[in-house]
Amino acid sequence: MQAELLKFLGTPMFGIALSLVVYLIGDFLFKKTHGFFLFQPLFVSMVLGIFILWLIAKSTNINITWIYTNLYKPGGDIIFWFLYPATIAFAIPLFKRNDIVKKYWLEIVLSLIIGLGISVVIMYFVSKLIGLNQAAIASMLPQAATTAVAMPIAQGIHGIPAITAMACILNAVIIYAIGDWLIKIFRLKNPIGIGLGLGTAGHTLGSAKALELGPIEGSMAAISVVIISIVVDIVVPLFANLVHL
Amino acid sequence: MENKSKPKKSETSIIVQMGIFAVILFVSYLISSLFPKNFPVPAPVVGLIILYLLLTFKIIKPEQIEKLSNFLIGILAFLFVPSGIQLAASLDIMKQSGVQLVIMIIISTVVMLVSVALVATFLIWLRNKIFGKKDELK
Repeated sequence: MQAELLKFLGTPMFGIALSLVVYLIGDFLFKKTHGFFLFQPLFVSMVLGIFILWLIAKSTNINITWIYTNLYKPGGDIIFWFLYPATIAFAIPLFKRNDIVKKYWLEIVLSLIIGLGISVVIMYFVSKLIGLNQAAIASMLPQAATTAVAMPIAQGIHGIPAITAMACILNAVIIYAIGDWLIKIFRLKNPIGIGLGLGTAGHTLGSAKALELGPIEGSMAAISVVIISIVVDIVVPLFANLVHL
Repeated sequence: MENKSKPKKSETSIIVQMGIFAVILFVSYLISSLFPKNFPVPAPVVGLIILYLLLTFKIIKPEQIEKLSNFLIGILAFLFVPSGIQLAASLDIMKQSGVQLVIMIIISTVVMLVSVALVATFLIWLRNKIFGKKDELK
């Protein structure tokens, strides 16, 4: 059974086609419903894609992790690779508002350090309150960084990298889906603050959201993605040491 | 004889734009691998810094890479689809304490957005207080 599945669906084409089809379905639903937030294309494609993989797993009685790794991942990795040049591309919106970077660089760096410090402390205590175990708490702390930074740090402070990766992905999905709504609810007005916040909480995808709001927001989100990774590199292991995680 | 309002700037071909990206990516991989394991700096982040510096020192003009950049940023949500579907492999973790984890991740997202945004707003307010000028952001 596994061999047959591999023969028919094991090419990268399956993963690429599945990604495109579920995304287009999401896009269609989003437009039909005039932007209902639950039909946000990325969210729809994520749920639908996992559901299809789960269906294949159920109907063939094979572990879903095997299905994901052997059928979807070869194609998914090809699409995923383009996130690398896409991240680099954010240098342009950043460069376009170089005036703001030059003027406010100190405020930018300080707000990311202090803001992350506050977030990490709050995240630590709320996780304890919710009743997460030590390993899960450690996995939560590095999520402000991009996945490539957050996972090894989670490992270093005895967390579970897979949970951290999940957190980083969901951060981005949440910010992309309801970022503007959160900005409205918490009455965030300062474009520099909004940009830095979106970049920190939503990573690269948060920067795309910020860019939709305006050039200042976009450039600030782009710079926060760079600086926050370095800040997380330093602050999170220190904090973990402090609270003996 | 330079006519300032040229009808169309000669556009850098897409192959050249891809070439520029490819070279930057390659160099940033090399640099990224120099960092120690406990202080990871991923290649895309290094690449962003490199491209920013190249633009700032006017070695590359924005027009030379703008088309490809806009395209990539425009399809970013789609590029995230494999990351989202990747969660299929984490369904086992979700079975154990999934609800708690998801709630915690939602809270964390909001906390990070709000605390960074508010600290920045406060610091900029403080700066305007100290230097006594109120400059509008445009």
